[in-house]
Amino acid sequence: MTSTVNRVADATETSTSAASAGSEVAAPGKRPKKPTTQRTRHWRENIAGYGFLAPWLVGFLGLTLIPMLYSLYLSFTRYNLFQPPQWVGFDNYIRMFTEDPNYTQSVKITLIYVLVGTPIKLAAALGVAMLLNYRDRGAGFFRSSFYAPSLIGASVSVAIVWRAMFSTDGPVDNTFSFFGFEIGGWVGNVALVVPMMILLAVWQFGAPMVIFLAGLKQVPRELYEAADMDGAGPVKKFRSITMPMLSSVVFFNLLLEIIGAFQVFAAAYIISNGTGGPAGMTNFYTLYLYKRAFSDGQMGYASAMAWTLVIVVAIIAAVLFRTSKMWVHYQGDSK
Amino acid sequence: MSLKDFRVKDDADQERVTQPQPRFTRKQITTAIWFVALMSLTAIILYPLLWLFLSTFKDNSEFGSNQGLLPEDPTFDNYLKVFEGIAGVPMWRFFANSAFIAIMATFGTLLSSSMAAYAFARIKFKGVGIFFAAMIGTLLLPFHVVIIPQYILFNNLGMIDTYWPLILPKFLATEAFFVFLIVQFMRGIPREMDEAARVDGAGHVRTFTSIMLPLIQPALVTSAIFSFIWTWNDFLAPLMYITSPEKYPLPIALRLYNDQTSTSDFGATVTASFLALIPILLFFLVFQRFLVAGVATQGLKG
Amino acid sequence: MFTVQRRRSLMAAAAMTTASVLALAACSSDSAEDPETSATGGSTAGAGGSGEEVTLDFAFWGNDVRADMYTQSIDLFMEEYPNITVNSTFLDYPAFWEKRQTEAAGGGLPDVMQFDYSYLRQYSENGLLLDLGPHLGNEINTDGFTEQILGIGVVGDTTTALPISTNAWGVYTNPQLLESTGVADFAGGTWDDYKAWAAEVTEASGGEIFGGTDYTGRIQNFEIQLRAEGKNLFNEDGTPGFDEARLTEFWESGAEMRGDDGSGISQQRLEEIYPTSGFGAGLTASELTWDNFGAGYLGELGEDYTELGLVAPPVTVEGAKDLYQKPSMLHAIAQNTEHPAESAMLVDFLVNSPEVGAIFGTNRGLPASSAMRDGITFEGLDEQIRAYEESIADRLGDAPPVPLVGYGTLEEKFRVLGTELGFGTLSVEDAVSQFFGEMDVTLNS
Repeated sequence: MTSTVNRVADATETSTSAASAGSEVAAPGKRPKKPTTQRTRHWRENIAGYGFLAPWLVGFLGLTLIPMLYSLYLSFTRYNLFQPPQWVGFDNYIRMFTEDPNYTQSVKITLIYVLVGTPIKLAAALGVAMLLNYRDRGAGFFRSSFYAPSLIGASVSVAIVWRAMFSTDGPVDNTFSFFGFEIGGWVGNVALVVPMMILLAVWQFGAPMVIFLAGLKQVPRELYEAADMDGAGPVKKFRSITMPMLSSVVFFNLLLEIIGAFQVFAAAYIISNGTGGPAGMTNFYTLYLYKRAFSDGQMGYASAMAWTLVIVVAIIAAVLFRTSKMWVHYQGDSK
Repeated sequence: MSLKDFRVKDDADQERVTQPQPRFTRKQITTAIWFVALMSLTAIILYPLLWLFLSTFKDNSEFGSNQGLLPEDPTFDNYLKVFEGIAGVPMWRFFANSAFIAIMATFGTLLSSSMAAYAFARIKFKGVGIFFAAMIGTLLLPFHVVIIPQYILFNNLGMIDTYWPLILPKFLATEAFFVFLIVQFMRGIPREMDEAARVDGAGHVRTFTSIMLPLIQPALVTSAIFSFIWTWNDFLAPLMYITSPEKYPLPIALRLYNDQTSTSDFGATVTASFLALIPILLFFLVFQRFLVAGVATQGLKG
Repeated sequence: MFTVQRRRSLMAAAAMTTASVLALAACSSDSAEDPETSATGGSTAGAGGSGEEVTLDFAFWGNDVRADMYTQSIDLFMEEYPNITVNSTFLDYPAFWEKRQTEAAGGGLPDVMQFDYSYLRQYSENGLLLDLGPHLGNEINTDGFTEQILGIGVVGDTTTALPISTNAWGVYTNPQLLESTGVADFAGGTWDDYKAWAAEVTEASGGEIFGGTDYTGRIQNFEIQLRAEGKNLFNEDGTPGFDEARLTEFWESGAEMRGDDGSGISQQRLEEIYPTSGFGAGLTASELTWDNFGAGYLGELGEDYTELGLVAPPVTVEGAKDLYQKPSMLHAIAQNTEHPAESAMLVDFLVNSPEVGAIFGTNRGLPASSAMRDGITFEGLDEQIRAYEESIADRLGDAPPVPLVGYGTLEEKFRVLGTELGFGTLSVEDAVSQFFGEMDVTLNS
């Protein structure tokens, strides 16, 4: 039996070479006896491709694309929902960056939320998923317990519970006091509201955890068994088996959690009753956008905010996709 | 696609458990530490939910004055009130509505998303790159700015106050999250596995149904769990499209105990949201059991 | 390779985008015209309705309690008019308005709506609400309304809504807390008297409870001070009735009630008990608010409470008509209704019927129509509110102009700035300049 590390390396190599082979994955030597020309094969692939993609295509062209483009158009207009939109060029975008202190504040807290919250949430999700993957017996109970907080919908109950946890003399305050930190309640402390919101996000780490778990289930167990025989320690196993085999899932969670954090809405809406308070500390980007659109009747401005966010997140996504080549290993990549 | 396809025997697992363990005690200690660590984590994570559960026995006036764990004067009134329903619509009706929407949506999402994912991950066709980028692009736009055009669209189709606007999009894979998730898992499957089938003369349809779907069981289970739970909790889409109270799903019904402009019954609110948790908790309990090592692991054995 | 492909795709997508914008511009004007187009089909039925089978959509906001009351009332209506079927739908307040905004933009407002004063100008000026003029005195009986109250629903020269009920600004006090501190109920007086009284309560309780909440966080308190000085908060033409100096003075006057050592409840404490209010949680002995909030407070305070104190707000200028009756809710009919006569009949029933009055009591506020008031046996808090609105008759002036478009935004901004003052994260000077900045954007867009 070859060493585990080599094996994974092999697998990675295969995928890289497959990737560089590009559209010529199906090497001529492997083809069945019936000789088919390149052309007909392309035709068949095209038909199959569009066949499988048909439902998505119908949904994309019929339900998603037009509303999206319409909102892009609206971002260059003044539109109060009642009168036809009026073209104003880049006015909305200019106002956003030059004369709206609320916007600047909203961008600031959203960035903190994304930059601090996402790594913590992902680390927690991955750590717990690996703990859970250690053993299957009894794991069902723990899985369900850890996922349970993510089951709560956007109900005012979340606001009630979370505020109680972080009140003066609530469990969090008491825990800190026990260790000698007298910081009082978090809810009413303007400086601690964003951390409180981040902890709410971390508490609801169930979704990335389940995805990590599903990914871990795809890692062949015998790779670890072989590594055990090779005498590899846990750190080595994590670095040379788990990470490479899990990288496609890590990439997915990273990208989606970043997008999700930029678009955080329900939690902020519920906790603040839609106001973005206290002192604008829960006025996250999408909540502010929503208030502009529906409470203030400034749909044009809100659309401009939305497309600014699209551009920023698209750049982040593009960077991630580009760098993913270096660290994400696909077993059967075709791209 | 039935549940049978998901239920794949977990040979590797069973072997492991029945095998005599060489270093018995050390294994036991690790397991004990594992257990204790997870138990303490569970205690912390579940505390707020325990608080929520116990507060279903609090009288409405205790909200605001008593933020402790235990109710001062335990009462079942909240449950009695919630079971009465709202304005003549019985509570079970809201549960049934939510269940119907969530089941249809989950079925639609699994079917359409796995098909689209297969096209993206495994078929080389003209335009695949553009469409993939467009699919990712749909993830980036905050949905609040497309609410109105989508409303106009469904209004013109005469679908207001029906479940179509909630279910139809799911059959058309409009949630890119699931398409992308399944794509990522498919790309984690060794290519030789379906190549082999293709060499044996299987078309894409057969490769998809009999090779690919069983292989990505964990991804399908994950998608089913998320799709069901998220649809169950979705508030905005039903708010826009459903008008008749007897067609309301739970998330709308839950808010009807609160009125900032007159009185709010927080006791009934927490009780109703706690009850709304139970079906999805059961759903998760059942489906997480299928989150076990898929056949893919055996694929590399040879 | 993948990345290259992606970049190209994004560019292609961008190209598609530009091409479609023009096509979409056309779509948008179509949808905006929808309500008007369908409205032409209306106004055929004469007074009293046509008698044919008609289905009306009716929407209101409220909780489960109010929904039950409406269900009973609608049943009565359908008994009386067997040819009319009413489908009612209801939501909580924020959801109700989000849905209406979408329907207004997408052309599908329900025939009859419970309406809020702060949205009235916006919907009226954009031609979304039916002119009730032709129906007043026909399907809608106006005998029970005073001229003053009928005037509340007039935007421009058109009556687009009919008040269901009125409320007035007042001071709620908590008799049990006052008894425990040994301080007598607020006996009226100036704003300074009120602050001194609140400080006395806070002190007497040893800081356990508070005399009140910093009242400068509510724009209504500012408004009644301005009205006492003969000004409006906002004039009909959309200009403010105050300058920076006046607002600074107002916000500075609340200083002693703010902060951890203030005589009012701290903003921190209020955040912790949300969604309950300070008064509802039994932490403050008084609250300046609309008089229809009493039932909500009683519900939050629990079964130990059967009564509350309700007295007139502090006086700014002796003898001034600073208070006014505001519609706590109105009824309006959508411009695009196909059955204006039947809709008007439903509105009439819901604002005038004594039977409906008996069902609702003061759930929607003190009924505006005397016909409906006659159906109610006022008891307890209901009686208190009725007597209160009678007792302040001397201070009641004409209602201010219907709130301008964007008033809700400004009211909310005012409240948020008030909380920031409470947290001490903003100086009065900065708060004033932020409020004027927001007014600039809102009033000019």
